[in-house]
Amino acid sequence: MFILRLIIILLLMIKIVVSQSIFNAYGLGLSRTSYHTSVNGAGSIGLVPTFHPGVSMDNPATWPGLKFTYISGSFSNQSNGIKNSKITNQAAGFNKIQFVVPIRDKFGFGISVKPINNHNSFFSTDTISFNFGGKSLLSNKEFRSGGGIMSGSFSISLPLNKNMGVGISVNKLFGSSRDEQSLVLNSTYYRLFNIRSYSGSTLNLDFAGRLYGDEKVMILAFARVGMTNKPVSGTLYKFDFYEDTNNNYSYDSDDYPANVDVDTISIRNIYAPNSFSFGFNVGFKNNLNLFSEFQLWNDEATNANYASIYNDQIGSKTHIGGGVVRFGDMGARDWQDQITFRSGLYRDKYVLRHTGKTLIENGLSMGIGFKFAATGNQIDFSFRYGSRSMRSSQKELFQEFTIGVSLGDIWFLRRRAKQ
Amino acid sequence: MNNNFFILAIGLYLLCLLVISSCEEAAIPIEQDNTPVIVDTVSFPVIKTTSYQIPPVLGNAEHLYFGEKDGFKYLYNLIRFDSTDVSNIYSFDHYNDSLIVADSLKLSMRLSLDSIDQNAEFQLRYFPDSGDSVFNETSTNYLNFDRNTASSVIATAVMMVDSIDSVNTKVTLNFMMDTSIINVIKDTSIINFNQSFLVELKTGTSSEFKFHSSEKVTGDPPELIAYFRQFLSDSVVQDTSYHTYLSIQDVSVIEPPVITLLDSSYLSISLAKGLRSLIMVDMEGWELPKKGIISSAELIYISPDSDTLTGYSVTSYPLKIEGDYSQFKSFETDPYIVDVNFNSSSSVIENILKINYRKISTEFGRGKMTNFGFKIQPSNNNDPFKTVLFHDLSSSDSYPVMRVIYVHP
Repeated sequence: MFILRLIIILLLMIKIVVSQSIFNAYGLGLSRTSYHTSVNGAGSIGLVPTFHPGVSMDNPATWPGLKFTYISGSFSNQSNGIKNSKITNQAAGFNKIQFVVPIRDKFGFGISVKPINNHNSFFSTDTISFNFGGKSLLSNKEFRSGGGIMSGSFSISLPLNKNMGVGISVNKLFGSSRDEQSLVLNSTYYRLFNIRSYSGSTLNLDFAGRLYGDEKVMILAFARVGMTNKPVSGTLYKFDFYEDTNNNYSYDSDDYPANVDVDTISIRNIYAPNSFSFGFNVGFKNNLNLFSEFQLWNDEATNANYASIYNDQIGSKTHIGGGVVRFGDMGARDWQDQITFRSGLYRDKYVLRHTGKTLIENGLSMGIGFKFAATGNQIDFSFRYGSRSMRSSQKELFQEFTIGVSLGDIWFLRRRAKQ
Repeated sequence: MNNNFFILAIGLYLLCLLVISSCEEAAIPIEQDNTPVIVDTVSFPVIKTTSYQIPPVLGNAEHLYFGEKDGFKYLYNLIRFDSTDVSNIYSFDHYNDSLIVADSLKLSMRLSLDSIDQNAEFQLRYFPDSGDSVFNETSTNYLNFDRNTASSVIATAVMMVDSIDSVNTKVTLNFMMDTSIINVIKDTSIINFNQSFLVELKTGTSSEFKFHSSEKVTGDPPELIAYFRQFLSDSVVQDTSYHTYLSIQDVSVIEPPVITLLDSSYLSISLAKGLRSLIMVDMEGWELPKKGIISSAELIYISPDSDTLTGYSVTSYPLKIEGDYSQFKSFETDPYIVDVNFNSSSSVIENILKINYRKISTEFGRGKMTNFGFKIQPSNNNDPFKTVLFHDLSSSDSYPVMRVIYVHP
């Protein structure tokens, strides 16, 4: 019966999943603020506990609170649609793959791979017609882009005292993106390709501490400082336009001209994020947790507009959000009580670097998680719904469905002494 | 129980990945404003035009012409045959074998008509003293070829009707040559004998006769047939056999009529008159934006012909040297060297010719080459005796103009 209900819930959630963003075409696109499914489900930025009481999988300072070593993967499907049209874009991919090892309730370390931003977009303009010397010309444009920056992270957790801990993460940023700019002239495509590579690194310093605790309530505080260690530099491979005579999307011997030149340009300091975040969590006796978070994020890059269809890019972001998490009790008799429920609301305010325009993102998240097996295996589902709007731009509605599986095992944990 | 649940959860997870990992890529409509990629247009004026004449060369024509028509005098035809036969095995050296006896040669040509309206007598000469080369079908004309290098007449012939089958006939002209000609051709002391012949009418006529040339697709090119016998032993000889050698070069040498006022008043082109034209487009100062591509760079010519002209093919090249646009001129050889790597061809459609010069215009726009103007001339697949006129700068509203459409970031 339980399994049947689980399948029904799953299918219902899949059914409402729908697509990505027009705002990915501004600079390097929108940066993600949450990665693990459990974090997504609460609408959190990963500071406060969402995976397990006292533990966030996106906050290394909390990892000593894990009872098992985990290997975890989160996979999401995003859809973005324009409010006033039936156009949607949909893309799917891994949000995060992670391996976390707690050591003797005090220490921990972990590695992870995750996408930092999303450059995926596909736009087309209206067709315009004009006359040139008696020749009628029809023209429209198409823009496609994909790829982005990935982060490979190594993190460690260290205790400060009985109630406080810190986490230090070194993030190696890497990856590539490509975009295609096309002009369609009387059904003939003229295409220009750009390929970009990225390389840089950032550091995160996380803090987690118990401010107050008694039998009924516990107040936790969290903070994160994100710094750029080595600003992202890149190589831009900028190809000449070519006429895609056979319209097969790739340059070949049928196309014009016979040879296409490529400029190779190296650019430094194209992405240099710095951030400061803090959050509070109030946990109650019945496993109910209320949380709030705040983040200031800023891109200090000096060479802007390295990869952009629009002549602008995201310069800064402010996040404010809050929500509720009720952790499941593995020992409960009713299966409903074993489920972890998460829900949250947030508001992101992005400011574009050149025009100063603001982009407001409002989101609502919800999610559930099930623990199973003796080693704390957990499967999580989350759904996020929201809107993005900017003055003189189309309002975008987005939905994101994420599935995460975390498999636990016993490594470096204190074992009971034999009786 | 726990194990079963674990397996089920993992299975569901993988199933979900499969179900939701499909991507949907519908384009989001956006405004054109502030987006990259621009389509631009520019018109360039033609500032200088002229036509000129060179001696006509009909080496690539589908026919070999005899007689005269519309003022054109078809003086004679030159034909060169392959040094090996159609099987690519037997050269004329084959007949030097002591067991081979070459009896005669036949030069055969096929008339373009299947019946004889009017017959005439033709005569044949050859070039025993001209070494390995007599003429070049792409350059030989009535001014640069000395007809006196040919021998005296070695054979004469009139046209005959042959049966192809019970219904169809063909008309051929067959010259029979005796062993003295074979002996010259097979003479091993002459290195690479030219195997060339001159065919002409015995007497002048006001009629026109057209024979298939080696360029005629699905035609019968001129052929040279060597008849021989082979001795199997001192007393046994095979029946007469033959090897066929096909024409590899042939050209009608013609003398064009006097140029008319129309020819020199327009941009005029003609194969048989040797008419070509030059056009100078003022593209000075124009730069193709970096990374840009030219979609089309059409130079538009308009024909003043009252009859609708369609299908006439024109080839154009950029000049490599300055042109003389001062007045109509005649030259013994074409002085205007062109860059054949940037040739453009197009056909006239309803009296309008649009030639796309985007390849060379790209070079001009990027400053890699200098614009000296363009030469236009008829393509070889046209009726060689057709003269096509286009308006030049003197026309008030139909003068040529170049229109360029280009795309750039």
